[in-house]
Amino acid sequence: MSGNDINRRDFLKFMGLGGVGAATLTGCDMPTTVTLEEGKEKVVSYLAPEEYVIPGIGVWYASTCQQCPSGCSIHGRVREGRVLKVEGNPESSMNGTGLCQMAHAGLQGHYNPDRLSKPLVRKGDKLTEASWEEAWALVEEKLGARTAWLTGTISGHQAVLLDDLKKTLGSNKSYAYEAINNGVGEALNKAVLGEATPRYRFDKAQSVLSFGADFLGTWVSPVHFTKEYAQKFRTGERGVLMVVEPKMTMTGANADFWVPARPGTEGALALGIANVLLHKHQVDGRVLPKAALDVIAKYSLAKTTDVTGVRSEAIVKMANYLRNNSPSIILSGPSAHEHANGSQNAAAAMLLNILLGNVGKTIESSGEMPVKDIAARPASSKAIVDFVADVGRGDIDAVVITGTNPVFTAPKALGVEDKLSQVPFKVALSMFIDETSALADVVLPLASSYEDWGTSVAAYQPHDKVIGVQQPLMQPLYKETKGLGDVLLSLLKSKGVDGYAGFDDYYAYLRKAFSDMPASVKQGKSDKAFWSAALQSGLINVGAASGSIKAKAPKVQAVGYEANSDYPFHLVPSARQGLWDGRHANIPWMQEAPDQVSKVFWDSWAEIHPKTANALGVKEGDFIRIESDQGVIETQVYIFKGVHPDVVAVPMGQGHENYGRYATGVGVNPLKILSPTTDESTGELANHATRVRVAKTGAKAPFPRLGGSEQQAGRLLVGTVTADVFRKTEGGDHVA
Amino acid sequence: MSLKNLLNDWSHYRKGIEDGGFYEYEHMWGMVVDLNKCTGCNACSVSCYSENNLAVVGKDRMMKGQGLHWLRLERYWDEPDMGGDDKEFQERGGSFLPMMCQQCNAATCEVVCPVAATYHTPDGLNAQIYNRCIGSRYCSNNCPYRLRYFNFYSYYEESWPEPLNQQLNPDLSVRDKGVMEKCTFCIQRIRTGKDKAAREGREVRDGDVVTACAQSCPTQAITFGDLLDKDAQVTKLWKSHQVELGKTKQNKSDEDLRGYRVLEGLNTDPCVMYLDRVREV
Repeated sequence: MSGNDINRRDFLKFMGLGGVGAATLTGCDMPTTVTLEEGKEKVVSYLAPEEYVIPGIGVWYASTCQQCPSGCSIHGRVREGRVLKVEGNPESSMNGTGLCQMAHAGLQGHYNPDRLSKPLVRKGDKLTEASWEEAWALVEEKLGARTAWLTGTISGHQAVLLDDLKKTLGSNKSYAYEAINNGVGEALNKAVLGEATPRYRFDKAQSVLSFGADFLGTWVSPVHFTKEYAQKFRTGERGVLMVVEPKMTMTGANADFWVPARPGTEGALALGIANVLLHKHQVDGRVLPKAALDVIAKYSLAKTTDVTGVRSEAIVKMANYLRNNSPSIILSGPSAHEHANGSQNAAAAMLLNILLGNVGKTIESSGEMPVKDIAARPASSKAIVDFVADVGRGDIDAVVITGTNPVFTAPKALGVEDKLSQVPFKVALSMFIDETSALADVVLPLASSYEDWGTSVAAYQPHDKVIGVQQPLMQPLYKETKGLGDVLLSLLKSKGVDGYAGFDDYYAYLRKAFSDMPASVKQGKSDKAFWSAALQSGLINVGAASGSIKAKAPKVQAVGYEANSDYPFHLVPSARQGLWDGRHANIPWMQEAPDQVSKVFWDSWAEIHPKTANALGVKEGDFIRIESDQGVIETQVYIFKGVHPDVVAVPMGQGHENYGRYATGVGVNPLKILSPTTDESTGELANHATRVRVAKTGAKAPFPRLGGSEQQAGRLLVGTVTADVFRKTEGGDHVA
Repeated sequence: MSLKNLLNDWSHYRKGIEDGGFYEYEHMWGMVVDLNKCTGCNACSVSCYSENNLAVVGKDRMMKGQGLHWLRLERYWDEPDMGGDDKEFQERGGSFLPMMCQQCNAATCEVVCPVAATYHTPDGLNAQIYNRCIGSRYCSNNCPYRLRYFNFYSYYEESWPEPLNQQLNPDLSVRDKGVMEKCTFCIQRIRTGKDKAAREGREVRDGDVVTACAQSCPTQAITFGDLLDKDAQVTKLWKSHQVELGKTKQNKSDEDLRGYRVLEGLNTDPCVMYLDRVREV
């Protein structure tokens, strides 16, 4: 210690202070560069911590996931003021404790380094940072009667505010666009069953036949269906799953019987199966109108095989399964719907449900939401077609865009980018710069769903009908971000709309809205108790599903198939659970997570059948050139037997041009080369109808796929037993 | 400490499986993965990333096999148990296999560590002491499941640029360059569960500890618990499928029972039991 001025007493003092400082600083998020010696910082002890903040202890708060529109209920773990982990809410009949990978990855959306922290205003060619006041003044000035609202799925009280705002402005133009949607299915359900989203009872079904509905991955309410599928459908007597689709999805990868049909001929296959059921199995056809029976009669086995390319044994096998494992559910989804004859395919699948007597048994009414005005507004892909048409007519002077990225997700041939440039004033409310918000005149930075208040009502409701409650899990990361509810409320206030002046913020509005909920929902609780209960459980149970359902048989038409010699292949822009429609491509966990089926990470790929690969002379990792009448993409091939030989499948979600450091420049976007086709009956985009030609480019590169061998080589890695063995050892009441 | 004591202690812990292994365990954490329920959705893996501070390494390093996915979803296309594999299409779908450290009781990784950085805990866990690890990578070389992951680089700046680092779980460390890491059965959650039980003055009960993967599984395909707890769900499943620790081949009264351990013939004695996938013929 010689040569040092510190004496023992000073040293102890210093250590004491330092000790307190260290203990305090580890508990909060102060920068570690704070030096107590400088005397500039105060040492604030945790003697009086904020409510529920206990250093070192995580506290769980309930909220609602906003990563996709299915509205799962979550718990977020908060420690020292930061949200660290999300888990499923055990109280939720939607998802229970489980979640999908995208829900977990919401954290990396919230903490994403590419998030917007300040408003941006266009000056010349460039978006430049501006004060909130400056941006807001522009928004207030420009929004009027000829304002369009281009959104994703929207529900809850945000939707109520938006409706009021539209009424005030005198604008009736709103477009809820989702690239992953069930628009064709909803329209058909509405016509046949009287409701757009009935309940599917996987727990009661003994067999499921899905025509392209990836209900374990991306269709309607995947986590809920996954839960019901595994915990009820696949246990006990274990139902049979059959999947007809051009490219194996996650649902297909779990099928007992996976069958690829020529894209667009799914309806013909359904009619062929109906034909076998009627004639081989003597199923009573009197439930169907004569017109339908006449069409079915045309689909003999030979004719069905001729149209669909599916072997006759496979058709009979599916009919047998359906006959012997009753009741069943027949589903149809995007790869059957998104064709010019998409509604016909959906109608043929529904006809099977009627023929097999499933309606009322495994397809039930979901009943009515008691609080009607906050129900989900249906989203579709027709919305973007309409938007483009309306801009073309010159009906729109301003557009507010939020929750959707149509420049990326709509087929390029629609010309969304071009049409947007014709709109004089564009506002984007967004957490990120993406291909669409980059074109805006004003970008207002949105708060993340973990920082904001909100309510949401899922379009698909399981047994318990619920309103999902979203509460902030932490303080906003950036002071100048605002929630969508707050933005809408501010607009309503600035327009001087009656009844809104009294609300300081969206939180205050929600409190009032909760107080005003009908007595049946509040169940005798006081306003305060009702609010606390809602926050505590993260959902409000508004009663069980009820009501009956009856089917009115749809009209069906013959479905044919035409080959195209110029463009012999079908392009399947499949949906990938993980990136969704591309909105999660900026999340590093989602890029690093391999695709469930191909196991490719951080890139795009094209799936082709070994036969096709042979014909083209390509091996795994070789580049191919996929050319439609709209353009060309090039990507590496993955070769496996889970794809139709006439199909080349390129998943959507990659190929971003302007979406932050993790997504930009990764992979290719198949939506760029889609031909502009729509379903003839509903006008929904027919994204699976594009024909392409495929050629080898000669280029090759190492292929970004997880794992080496895809064969078990005789090792017992994944054992398989037959369903009969399972039923013998674990079926019925014999639960291990 | 005499050399004799040291050697005694050593052989006490290092009892070979033929001698019944070390048996004074406080817990024996084990797992069941039901492949009839698993849909291969990958939620467990991402839940693990978020719980355990796993670094994102990027495309090039992933391609070199340097990804740090403690729990990875393997997918196979052939079905050795279902016979022929020469059909035109993949008619029975894929075979998914969630692989996390199998927490072997006769772990091949432990015996080769030159510095005893990987060892067996009285909880039956195969643990890794990061600050003892010198990065010889012998353990990873010796793991027949390829479930040990090496930090070839320091990832903290690249993987968690501000403010992504705010998501890091403070209950465990971020590993640095030169260190081997692997699934710990969420040891921080085990610790929290044990502490809670101790505070409440009781034994650890089934359900007190749930790993991040088991918790997040939408199908509840993963069951986690203490194999020494007779009433634990995991123990019941092992029993009903007639799979026992300490064997290289199980004697089952009914060959059709689905339980098995991956590569158990290697005498690694894993604590993870899988239940066969099921398909129609």
